[in-house]
Amino acid sequence: MISLKAYLFVSMILMVTGLVVMISRKNIVAILLGIELILNSAALNFVAYSKYAANNLDGHIFSLFIIVIAAAEAAVGLAIVIRFFQVKETIHIDEASELREELTR
Amino acid sequence: MFANILFSVSSLLVISSCILMMWTKNLMHSCVYLLGVLIGVAGLYLTLGADFVAATQIMVYVGGVVILMLFAVMLTGGKDYQSQTQKILNLFPSMGNKYTFMWGVGVAFVFGCTLIYFFRNLFSVIKVIESDDSYTPTIERLGELLVTDHLVAFEISSVLLLGALVGAAIIARPRKERPAFIDDIVDDHHHDEEHH
Repeated sequence: MISLKAYLFVSMILMVTGLVVMISRKNIVAILLGIELILNSAALNFVAYSKYAANNLDGHIFSLFIIVIAAAEAAVGLAIVIRFFQVKETIHIDEASELREELTR
Repeated sequence: MFANILFSVSSLLVISSCILMMWTKNLMHSCVYLLGVLIGVAGLYLTLGADFVAATQIMVYVGGVVILMLFAVMLTGGKDYQSQTQKILNLFPSMGNKYTFMWGVGVAFVFGCTLIYFFRNLFSVIKVIESDDSYTPTIERLGELLVTDHLVAFEISSVLLLGALVGAAIIARPRKERPAFIDDIVDDHHHDEEHH
């Protein structure tokens, strides 16, 4: 029988690589890919705990809702990315600086 | 036995695809590696006895989200915006630049250490249930739970999906130029007002 620790380890790898992708990439679509990784690690943890620690199906329900919310987030995020590309003709994250206050030195 | 083999294959697929996704230079390849990660996570769900969640994962993520991501990559050019080549960047070609790479690895290191620290004390807090490997289908019970205990969340998620769909359609719609005849009508109107 597989232990809970193994699932938590895989989930930790997913979370950490998602963080690295989110922080170090400069492309907005790549940042959305990192968010998908982190959401998957959370959903995997829910299902693993619902088998090993609670023994009911509430974790499965939460995992389903995470999948629904990830789909909605991907649709809206990619719409924003495409609109941003129409306006700026690039999807570099550093170009999205309209709301940033100019630093006066 | 079968669960062990499935777990090994799936976790290997997940971990290798994650690392390749972090490593690769090409955003299109990154999306394909995300496909590997999602299929591997679906296999892990199967080893946990969550058959419906695994099927939903395959249908929604692999059939929907990754295709959407691929379309977005193709519509926006697919470049990864490499900075100028520096020595570290040649070793780790996928990253934005040297500083973002260092920030990412630093934050990931801190998070990894924190999580491992919590893992160490975890099993004195949580009493792990030693369940057998017998498999029982979950779909019937999940359907009952969705329309009894979690009914409000179920309905709210349907409203959320509708709002996300309409919002995405409105945001991504190209702004139309005003047709020329409207300008003519407005000009005539102003002209008439000046006469009166």
